[in-house]
Amino acid sequence: MTCKKCLTKPVIKLPNNNISLCKKCYLRYFEKKVRKTIRIYKLFKKGDTVGVALSGGKDSMATLQLLHSLTQQQRTTKIIAIAIDEGIKGYRDETLKFAKKFCKENKIPLKITSYKKEFGMTLDQILKKLDIHPCSVCGVFRRYLLNKEAKRNKLTILATGHNLDDEAQTILMNQFRNNMAAASRLGPLTGIKDDKKFIRRIKPLYFLTEKEIMTYAFLNNLVTPFNECPYAEDSFRSRVRESLNNLDKEYPSTKSSIINSFLDILPILKEHYKTGDINYCKECGEPTSKEKCQACEYSELIRK
Amino acid sequence: MKIKAYDERNKKNIELEVDSIKEAAKELKINLEEVIVVKNNELVTESAELKDNDEIKFLSVISGG
Repeated sequence: MTCKKCLTKPVIKLPNNNISLCKKCYLRYFEKKVRKTIRIYKLFKKGDTVGVALSGGKDSMATLQLLHSLTQQQRTTKIIAIAIDEGIKGYRDETLKFAKKFCKENKIPLKITSYKKEFGMTLDQILKKLDIHPCSVCGVFRRYLLNKEAKRNKLTILATGHNLDDEAQTILMNQFRNNMAAASRLGPLTGIKDDKKFIRRIKPLYFLTEKEIMTYAFLNNLVTPFNECPYAEDSFRSRVRESLNNLDKEYPSTKSSIINSFLDILPILKEHYKTGDINYCKECGEPTSKEKCQACEYSELIRK
Repeated sequence: MKIKAYDERNKKNIELEVDSIKEAAKELKINLEEVIVVKNNELVTESAELKDNDEIKFLSVISGG
């Protein structure tokens, strides 16, 4: 089997359309797909200061590399990397080392904040003190700090490395849990347009699978050895992921069909679950659906 | 063909006697949707041919977070 376009040795067989591509043609295909997503969904415009939430993993590294290379020539869009150090020994310190090296080599500003600095404790310390689900507290703190750090650095938009697999899993998980209100907040561009306290999020890799991103990352030397978060559990998400990958193996394009059919109904969901006025936390002023945000609730538990 | 295989996710090195990458993945219970395949340090598709003493790595595409 050879590359469909130039008949040389292929590096990937595209899962969705059954064609094989060589390194050069694949990198072109990948970048074109991201550019198309940015253009069609108007993810950012010239003059924006785009933040990239950087963990050092393949998805966020690929997002940063792409946005950096796509905006390097035009000089009107600024790229800043934002990293959150949760304080997970033997895990995050390793991936952050790689992220720092990449940003230094490519002259990309990198802003790092940590749970220790903002909440007084690392995640390792928090979990020793509180009997709490690690991913719940970690997710709340990470989202909270990303928004805070985005505002601190005057970002106009924040890009994350979410991909087609993540989104297909989340869509199904929301359906299985009968939570379509949460589903209405998905899509390539999220957040409320006119809320100055919430920096909108974009997902430039929205239409690319994990396998496609890993291939891109490998070809660009962006891959670090597999390193699993010590708190990762055999969660509901991993069950959904496994089922979807098994289905996709047997019925190719299952995951893209989930995404595409979801995007067809997303405008209706958004209209149906339109939120009224946003509240701001009485303690920290960050956007929240309640009187006091969840990050402040957890923060109070830590201080007790 | 006798090959050396490495399953990155499970950190497992193994010698296998197989005719294809698909067969090696099956032996290791690896879903090819969840890995990229590196043969003798070069990225290949699952249809790449094998010969004796080839070294195959199955690198996980799933994030560890």
